[in-house]
Amino acid sequence: MSWTLESLREHLQAALDVEHATIPPYFTAWISIKDTTNVEAAEIIRSVMLEEMLHLTLAANLLNAVGGRPSLTHQGFVPRYPHRLPFSGDRFEINIERFSKRALETFVAIERPEGPRARPEAKKFHTIAQFYAAVREGIDELCERLGEQAVFTGTVARQVQPAAYYAAGELIVVTGRDTAHRAITEIAEQGEGAHDSVFDADRSICGEGREPAHYYRFMQLVKGRRYREGDTPKSGPSGARIDVDFDAVYPIQPNARAHGYPKGSQVRGALDAFGHGYGQLLAALEAAFTGAPDRMTEGIARMFALRDQARALMQIPSGDGKTTVGLDFSQGRAVLDGGPI
Amino acid sequence: MSAPHYDAVIVGGGVAGALVARELSKAGRSVLILEAGIEGAMNPDTYRQYLQTLYTEGGVRGMPNGPYPWNAAAPSPGIPNAPHPYYTYDTTMQFMSDYLRMLGGTTLHWQGTSLRLVPNDFRMQSTYGQALDWPITYDDLEPAYRRAEAELGVAADVEDQRFFGVWFPEGYVYPMHRMPQSRVDQFFDAALTGKSVKLFGGNYPLKVISIPVARNSTPNPKYALGEGYEAVPAVGDRDQGQRCQGNSVCMPLCPVQAKYSALKTIAVLARKPTVEIRTQCVASKLIIDSESGRITGVEYKHYEKPGGGKFRVETAHGTLVVLAANAIENATLLLASNAANSSGQVGRNLMDHPYLYVWGYSPTPVYPFRGPDTTSGVESLRDGRFRQVHASFRASLANWGWSSEPGNQISLLLGQQTYGAALRRELAHRMSRMVKIGFMFEQLPSPTNRVTIDPRQRDELGNYRPVLSYGYADYSLKGVETAVKTVWPTITKFANVQDETVYVDPAPGGYQRVTYNGTGYNLMGSGHIVGTHRMGSSRKDSVTDRNMKAWDHPNLYVVGAGNQVTIGTANPTLTAAALSIRAADAMLKDLR
Repeated sequence: MSWTLESLREHLQAALDVEHATIPPYFTAWISIKDTTNVEAAEIIRSVMLEEMLHLTLAANLLNAVGGRPSLTHQGFVPRYPHRLPFSGDRFEINIERFSKRALETFVAIERPEGPRARPEAKKFHTIAQFYAAVREGIDELCERLGEQAVFTGTVARQVQPAAYYAAGELIVVTGRDTAHRAITEIAEQGEGAHDSVFDADRSICGEGREPAHYYRFMQLVKGRRYREGDTPKSGPSGARIDVDFDAVYPIQPNARAHGYPKGSQVRGALDAFGHGYGQLLAALEAAFTGAPDRMTEGIARMFALRDQARALMQIPSGDGKTTVGLDFSQGRAVLDGGPI
Repeated sequence: MSAPHYDAVIVGGGVAGALVARELSKAGRSVLILEAGIEGAMNPDTYRQYLQTLYTEGGVRGMPNGPYPWNAAAPSPGIPNAPHPYYTYDTTMQFMSDYLRMLGGTTLHWQGTSLRLVPNDFRMQSTYGQALDWPITYDDLEPAYRRAEAELGVAADVEDQRFFGVWFPEGYVYPMHRMPQSRVDQFFDAALTGKSVKLFGGNYPLKVISIPVARNSTPNPKYALGEGYEAVPAVGDRDQGQRCQGNSVCMPLCPVQAKYSALKTIAVLARKPTVEIRTQCVASKLIIDSESGRITGVEYKHYEKPGGGKFRVETAHGTLVVLAANAIENATLLLASNAANSSGQVGRNLMDHPYLYVWGYSPTPVYPFRGPDTTSGVESLRDGRFRQVHASFRASLANWGWSSEPGNQISLLLGQQTYGAALRRELAHRMSRMVKIGFMFEQLPSPTNRVTIDPRQRDELGNYRPVLSYGYADYSLKGVETAVKTVWPTITKFANVQDETVYVDPAPGGYQRVTYNGTGYNLMGSGHIVGTHRMGSSRKDSVTDRNMKAWDHPNLYVVGAGNQVTIGTANPTLTAAALSIRAADAMLKDLR
């Protein structure tokens, strides 16, 4: 296919959309785990979620670098769950649900590496890896055709700086082709592993050992063991045992809808507040990505507020005698700006 | 089989011992750390368990040692539900501060405040005719302060910290930017900017400044001439703790380890082949060669199970021996060994910062209970001519409302038959306006404030328990009076705060009643335990020299806050860390 700057920007906006779509399910599963139980599972899900948040931010840096404007508030940015993840061959649905065997199977499916990076067929990607491989080719093609300077026209001021971001790897400031490649590599390797390895390439710090890529991180929960240095995709994990207890989880309603509760009821009020808070978070992040970097701090404060709100919601009986209240992210649209936290 | 010989045997796995071990091992030296307590919080599961205790067991909140278990083999003061208190007393006044005997030491429950001492703190005798001068000056310690700030990861802006002659080299920045100011800080800042208080004929500005804290904020890219700084995450979880989350429970335990603890240094040491860390080993006696005065071994009791029971007596050997236990434990061990005491100063000059709260309602909501415990203070009363007659002090602005008071508010309102929406409304109205300031007072060294030992007072392993004598001199109490009767009314006037301070008699738990000039005050301790083996220029009136080597023993160093000649008004951990680094430099010269 022949790339244009416009199609590159569209693809990078699609990257933001797809990276974001995984965050509510991971967040929900993580929060549904009862305090002090499933310690490893909670840590693993949270660590993957943090990296998806990093990927979202890297995608924003990429899009800004090529003169685009990241959007987190357009119609459909918060998908309606159950949701079929784009670029995944329509093979599975993702849900807003508690940590369970089914949720874990979905997570494994989201992160499954799909063999060598098959060439994409015109605009149809079967895997996320294919999609990013295509974006990388697009950048290369445009740089060769138009020159690097004509592609990377974005102002550096719009780049989210490493100091404003922490945890989960390195935030790369994208200013040209090399840094763009590094950003894409980081996204791909954190997800899939480096070259048929269990581990991603660059997360060895303080000699503590490397972290398995997302797929393998989740496989540890499936297999009930940790990977350790020397393990390969073929060998499977041979490290310390991990105990998973699917019962030590709040039994939340899957794909809950705020509308399902009567207006004026306490649950409805709490769900509306949660959805509204999520919308305000997206608005703050969009502002942080589009020239108001100070809004990142506000966004982080909102994330903590959402965490606490979600924990409280999941402890309220839903009324059917079996489940507790689930989360509804869908109202997190169209909230353009927030008041005080 | 002969026991291994180390370049240094270090007694104590807290911040002082960890920093000495770090410096020595960086230079390739072998070290053994003997830690009296258990591995405890070093294990992530145990850390989580302590957190759970903190969250679920009412009554442990607000207690520095609240979540930590009693350990009969190496007891700590201030452990809730302990079968008996650890300290015994020679006086009716009590010593209100405690410490933790566990790997990582008291940095597990410290608040993280990392102020430097001011230059006059080092020369109280020559400037104000009080106490003694140190054998070193601020200038001597300045480079070590910077090294301590690097390892502890201190967040502050240099511009805020230049006062009373505190200086930094050209171009220096702290590893991380200062913590954002809380709404409480902003409220006081707005109310007090440009205002001052009259003391001892001088005008002192009531300026609110951000305080340096060993707590992860945003790394400063300008640090180390542009190298930057990487925030150190939690031990055992690199995705946790790179930034403070404002959980407001720094003391007794940071939920995410954004606050520095010695565990962060120890985690790196534990991977070094030249460093050995042995927990559950309580040093009980230094073995002294009577000819040379050299310490030929450290006798310690190695107990098998956390909590006590069976133990073996073993001996460790090192070219150097370094005591890096808490100031009270260092003194106890020296006394038990009849070591380093030709001056008679071991155990004397025990100091702490007497601590006093004042509180009230702000006129408009300031939304406390968010942010780390404290982020700003009034530092302008830490030095001045008034120190000729009374204590200097600092005022720490609390971000946690009246702390334990909300419970009382609820019972109070329920007692007035306030329920439902009205209760919620009234609580919101009160709690959103709660402000509280902690005044921290200087105390002068006194030979009668001291640690001694008594053969009848021993713990389960037969080791000595500290016997304390303690009291407050008029110098400190006059400072207390000045704070309550002059400074606080000035602040309430300018900030339009409704004073609600009441010192009930008898004092509630954790406080001690003191009456001065007819007024009763309820004082706390600050956990700032210093002075028990002070350094000096002469062996006649001090225990250690300017490099913290014991005058009486050619291979014994005694490190930590016990070396402080005066306490000034800086929370002592940063100074203890800087002193330990300075001592380690001298040790490396000895080992050459």
